[in-house]
Amino acid sequence: MSMLQPPYVGRHMPEATFVVHLDDFHGFLVKQRYPSTLTLNEKVLNLIFFEQQKDNKENLSLAEIEGFRIAIYSSPEFPKWMVCTILGAEEDFDLSREGLAGSGRLILTLMSEDEDAVDLEEIVKAGSILEKTSEEQKLADIFLTPSTALLLERMQSEGVEKAAKLSIWLKNQVQDEVDLREAMAPLMKSGVVKVELVGKTSEMVFLMKDVFGYRAPPVASIKKAAQILPNIVERYQDYVAAFFSPPPPSKGYNPTLPTTDPNSPILEDREKISRLLANSLKYRVLESLRGEPLSASEIALKTALPNSIVTKALWSLESDKVVIHFEEEGVWALLNNPRIESFLPEFVLPLVRKKVSEKEITPQVARRHLELLIQNYGE
Amino acid sequence: MIRSVYVLGEQGNMLYSKDYAKSESKADLVEFLVNLTHFLRTVDLENKTEFMNVAISRIFFAQRDNFTFMFVADKADDATQIEEKMTQLVESFMRDYANLAIANQPLDGFDEKVDEIAVTMVKVAILGFAGVGKTTTLHLLRGETLPLVHDPTIGVSIKKLPEEVENANIVLWDLAGQSRFSILWAKMIANAQVVIIVTDSTLENVLRSKKLVTLVKDEVPDAKVIGIANKQDLPTALTPERVGQILGIPTYELVAIDISYRDRLIQIIRRAILEGKAEAKAA
Repeated sequence: MSMLQPPYVGRHMPEATFVVHLDDFHGFLVKQRYPSTLTLNEKVLNLIFFEQQKDNKENLSLAEIEGFRIAIYSSPEFPKWMVCTILGAEEDFDLSREGLAGSGRLILTLMSEDEDAVDLEEIVKAGSILEKTSEEQKLADIFLTPSTALLLERMQSEGVEKAAKLSIWLKNQVQDEVDLREAMAPLMKSGVVKVELVGKTSEMVFLMKDVFGYRAPPVASIKKAAQILPNIVERYQDYVAAFFSPPPPSKGYNPTLPTTDPNSPILEDREKISRLLANSLKYRVLESLRGEPLSASEIALKTALPNSIVTKALWSLESDKVVIHFEEEGVWALLNNPRIESFLPEFVLPLVRKKVSEKEITPQVARRHLELLIQNYGE
Repeated sequence: MIRSVYVLGEQGNMLYSKDYAKSESKADLVEFLVNLTHFLRTVDLENKTEFMNVAISRIFFAQRDNFTFMFVADKADDATQIEEKMTQLVESFMRDYANLAIANQPLDGFDEKVDEIAVTMVKVAILGFAGVGKTTTLHLLRGETLPLVHDPTIGVSIKKLPEEVENANIVLWDLAGQSRFSILWAKMIANAQVVIIVTDSTLENVLRSKKLVTLVKDEVPDAKVIGIANKQDLPTALTPERVGQILGIPTYELVAIDISYRDRLIQIIRRAILEGKAEAKAA
C-alpha cells in the first residue's frame, strides 16, 4: 500500500495554508505560510487556538473566524501545533476532510523532523498527504509501551482473562499507577485483543491475534535487483547472507530460536523494529525499498518527501542495520525487511478448554471466544 | 532563549544540568548530547563556540580542557548573543568550579551563576476573572496610556516589558478572563516563572479567584504566585491583607489606573523572580 495519493479527488487548491505553533514564551508563531503574502493578526491566531482547544477530541475542525472559513488540523502527537487552511467559498469541508487531515498530518510530521526542510508550497500544490497509520504501524505501537507489551505476553499465556483480574495483575507487575484502558489501547486498536461484556457483570478480554515482529530476508528486493541491477546483485546477496547466516562461530539473525530471557537481543531488536515502523517517515522510506533497490532521489520521488528527510531517514535506517548503501552505484537496498505480522492464535484453544474445565470461565465465555475467532478468520 | 544548560565531564558524565523550559523529548536529547560529547573529543573546536540545528532547537557547544558545555536554544535566537553567554559561562566555570568538578565536589554557587548568565527571558502570566483589570495592569507595567473603554481580551495578549529586569526580558502574558476562555488557562500558563493573580478586591471575586490559585499550583508548581488587590480606590475594596489571607498567597495593593503604582509593581515582580531563583536553588 502506498501512502501517497494523487491530489485529493474533488479538492480545490486552498486559498492559503499556514502552520501555527504556540510557544510557551513567545506566544503564537506562524512557522510556515503559503502564499508568503498572507498576513494574520493576533486575534485570528487566538481564535484559531481557542476553536481547536474547544473540541480537542477532533483532529480536524472548521471555524469561521473574521469572515474566513478555516480548517484546523491538530494532533495529540504534536501538542500546541496547528496546520490551518483557509478554504475557498465553494469548497466543501466534509468532502475535503480526509485530504485536509492527511496534509496536516504530513506537514506536522515533517516539521517535527526538520522545520526548515518543509516546502509548504510544494506540499500544497501537489496535494501530498500522509495516510492514517497502516495495520503494520498499529501493531508496532504495541511494543512501544512496556506495559502494553507486558499485557500481550500475559494474554498469550492466558488466552482469555477477566479485565478486572488483568488490571490487578498489571498493577502488581509495574508497581505503579497504571491505567489499564490506556495500556490496552494499542492492543484494541490493532485488533489483537477484543474486550466485551459477557453476561451481565464480567468484562472479558479475548486474545484475537498473535503478533510476531522480525526482520525478514528482503527476497523481493533481491529478485528485482537481479533483473535491474545485475552489477550489484552478487555483493547484495553476500551482505544479506552475512547478516542472516555468517560463517561460524558468529550466529547471525534468527528470530525463530525460542528465548525466555527478557534482555535477549532479539526482544530488544523487536522494540527497535517497532520504533522504526511506528515512525511514519522512516516507514515510508522503508516501504518504498521493499520491492526494489533505489537511489535517494528515486525514493524522494516515490514517497514525495523532501530530499533532506529521505537522506536522514536512510542514514538512520543504515545505523539500525536495515538498509545498505552501494556507494559507487548510488543505490540503497534493504539488508533485511522489518515486519510485524499477526497470526491466528491457535494455541488459545487448549487454554480455553482448560479454563472451562477448571471453571475459571463459563462455557458462555468460551463459546463467545470461538465465535469471535471464527468471525475474524472464518471464510 | 536558552532553554537548557548542560555541563559534561570527561567521560560524558553529567556534571550540571538545568532546564528553563520543559520539553517532551528530554531523555532522547540527553542521550544525544552525551554522544555528541564523545564525538567532540575527536575534533578540535579551538576554544570556539559552535552550533548545530537539531529538530526545532539549536544546540550551542564549546569545549575547554575535559569539559563540554552546551546550551539548547532556539533557531530564532541571535547566535552572537548566545555565543557571548557561552564564553561567560565557560570562563566562570573554568575559573571557579573546574577544580571542584575534578575533585568530585559539589558546585556551590554555580547554579546562581548560571541563572545570572543564561536567564534571558522570564514569562509572567497575568490571570484573573473578567473585568478585574488585567489588561490595565499590563498597560500600567508597559507605561502606556490607559484605555478608557473596556475591550475584553481574546485568548491571550503577549507583550514585552520595555526594560530588562535582572538582565532578563520580561514577557507578559495577559490572559483573557471571560469564562469561555477558561479552557485555555492551563495551556497558557505553562512554563511561567511568575503568575500574577489579579482580583478586583470584592469579596465575591476574591473567593472565586481561590480556584485560580489551585489551578496555578497544579499546573506550574514551581512558579512564584503573587496576588494583586486591584481597585483599592473603590469603597467596597477589601484590604490587601484580607485578600492575601483568603487567597493564601502574598498579595499587594494596586490601583491600576494610577501610574504611580508602576515602579512598585515592577519591584514586586523583580522580587518574585529573585525569590523564585532562591527557591529553585534550595530545592
